[in-house]
Amino acid sequence: MTTQTATAGLQEQGGTDFKKVGVWIASVGIWFLPLLWIDPTTYAVLTVAGLAMGMLIFLTASGLTLIFGLMDVLNLAHGAFFVWGAYVGFSLLNALQQVGWVEGAGAAQSIGSVLLCLLAALVVGGLMGIVLEKMLVRLTYGSHLKQILITMGASLILVEILKVVWSPNDEVVMVPAAFQGSWDIMDVIITKFRVVAIVVGLVVLGGIQLVMMRTKLGIIVRAGVENKEVVETLGYNIRRVFTGVFCAGAALAAVGGTMWSIFKEQIHPAMGEENLIFALIVVIIGGMGSVTGSFLGAIMVGLAFNYVAYTLPPLALGANIMIMAVILLIRPTGLMGKE
Amino acid sequence: MESKTMQPTPVQTERENLRRVRFTRPALWVQLVLLACLIAGPLVVPSFRAMDVMTKVMIFAVVAASYDLILGYTGILSLAHVTFFGIGAYSMALVVFHSGQAAWYHIPVAMALAVGISGILAVALAFFSLRVKAIFFTMMSLALAEFVFILGDQWHDLTMGEDGVSFSLPGIFSVNWSDGTFLGAALNGRLMTYYFILVASVLLFIGLVRFVRSPVGRVLKSVRDNEQRSTALGYKTFHYKVLSNVFGSVVASLAGVLFAMWLGYVNPTSVLGIPVMLNVLLMVIIGGMGTLYGSIMGAAFIQVAEAWLPDLQKLAMLLLPGVEMAQRLAERWILYFGILFILVVIFFPKGIVGTARDVIARRKLRLAQRDHQTGL
Repeated sequence: MTTQTATAGLQEQGGTDFKKVGVWIASVGIWFLPLLWIDPTTYAVLTVAGLAMGMLIFLTASGLTLIFGLMDVLNLAHGAFFVWGAYVGFSLLNALQQVGWVEGAGAAQSIGSVLLCLLAALVVGGLMGIVLEKMLVRLTYGSHLKQILITMGASLILVEILKVVWSPNDEVVMVPAAFQGSWDIMDVIITKFRVVAIVVGLVVLGGIQLVMMRTKLGIIVRAGVENKEVVETLGYNIRRVFTGVFCAGAALAAVGGTMWSIFKEQIHPAMGEENLIFALIVVIIGGMGSVTGSFLGAIMVGLAFNYVAYTLPPLALGANIMIMAVILLIRPTGLMGKE
Repeated sequence: MESKTMQPTPVQTERENLRRVRFTRPALWVQLVLLACLIAGPLVVPSFRAMDVMTKVMIFAVVAASYDLILGYTGILSLAHVTFFGIGAYSMALVVFHSGQAAWYHIPVAMALAVGISGILAVALAFFSLRVKAIFFTMMSLALAEFVFILGDQWHDLTMGEDGVSFSLPGIFSVNWSDGTFLGAALNGRLMTYYFILVASVLLFIGLVRFVRSPVGRVLKSVRDNEQRSTALGYKTFHYKVLSNVFGSVVASLAGVLFAMWLGYVNPTSVLGIPVMLNVLLMVIIGGMGTLYGSIMGAAFIQVAEAWLPDLQKLAMLLLPGVEMAQRLAERWILYFGILFILVVIFFPKGIVGTARDVIARRKLRLAQRDHQTGL
């Protein structure tokens, strides 16, 4: 077993770039396979839906993977941030409806109300992240078991408080007028909000990559993922970076929740847990700690979910677990994982 | 070679010590009293509610103990343990349900089915995820748990979906069966099922205790405490982890068969849901990880709390009529579980039995020191 890993390590050192290109080609190519049994028009519709779903899952998964990569914390409260974001967005949309910015609103007003919702979710999620990190997660650095238990307990509490504040039942979310309906491009029906979801996902991906690759903060975070002690000896307060990353991850999850609620047009308290499963699968597929990997993984999961849901509805989640199992068999650390 | 036969190994010495104090340890008396209470319970207190709570304590003590084997003795956090429990419960229910008329051989068939399915699934899960990092296992098991839950919820032809499956038990375990009275208690199907579950869960628990005290159990503890060192000593730690995981899962699935027999009804939320998993986790943590007997304490605590919590809620509503927020808060009992979870993890990480053992060990040490001093 040890010799196997040693040889694998040697190979990786030799041809990392080649292997990465191979991974990219394989993971792009395989998505044209469903064309064999799905006709092109439906395939296009499903692909847009899958891309949108993948982008939204990426919002949750990116925070999860960053928190794991930097802080070595598996944050099971991530689903709670997600669902709080969804409910905050839902309430704000209801409030904006009174002003007439939702139903029967113009394009500018619709965009404005969605942006307001995202901002509110960002603030609420970020604050919750800071509080949770400073109060609880900080006590448990170094012990995976305690982290998992504490974040799980926190998740229970947050979701139950949510049920007290709002209600334990399903609610219908109103969609701003400009994003209702769909476009018809050569028989391919594209729901408008799916495009918005794809745009938001790309913007977030771009933003994260920009911060991580071009700013000093990004360099510190990336260095922290590699080696925390060295970053500390260079005089940076890694604790503050931890809080910042946790806050950002929570805020991203909350934004994901708001987007998801408008995307699905309904919300319920268990949606955080359901989405956490997707995010976990994505993080495992992509390799823990890698933003690019989780982006790839999210797109894969979104596409596979839609193709399979069209062909064999009950097996949709099962297909994702199968993908995860296959990828783990080939690359135990995920697509872009290290070690 | 010669020294091997001459000197007893440390394991042999410890076993010899254990064997010598076997009948004089106070723990033995606690166990015997507990067993006597469980045997005499339904005959002395003929209330159905008490019997129900006692049965659930027995079953969940086995589930929590088998979870403790994986969590406390091997150091792997699985979130799919209740999934195996649910597989056991569903195999019992579905075997009877799909064959129409219940027959006595359905129970062993269901047990064999439960052991087979959960064993294969546990091996698959372990092989996929234990190779990398312990935390991978946690994530994979969560995904598996969710997948099986969805299967139970949506595969309507097999599992009847979220409506669940109700079934009747064969022969003397049937609710309709009754045969006069015995020592003042009505001799009926319920009582027979109770004693069957008592015998089965005691056997399963003893099996777990023997497993932990076996040479394999010792290796597991060493893997938990220092994996690199155990590897260096020549143990294939991966194999041992897989073994403990499979054994724990199989025991949990057998406990699931017992649970289905007691309720006569299964549905996805009651045997596969994440809240059940959290309950079991809480039982192990409250009782004390790595103690096995702690799981009995934990199971008793949680089950009693769950049985009497609705009364507390009614009391809260009586005390604060008209305050809507208070009523809403009283309804959300998972909220208090979550708070308890965090408090126990932070302030009481060793659990009841772990803390008690610490206290006893400290007192023994103090006594020994005093004797030593006075002896001088």
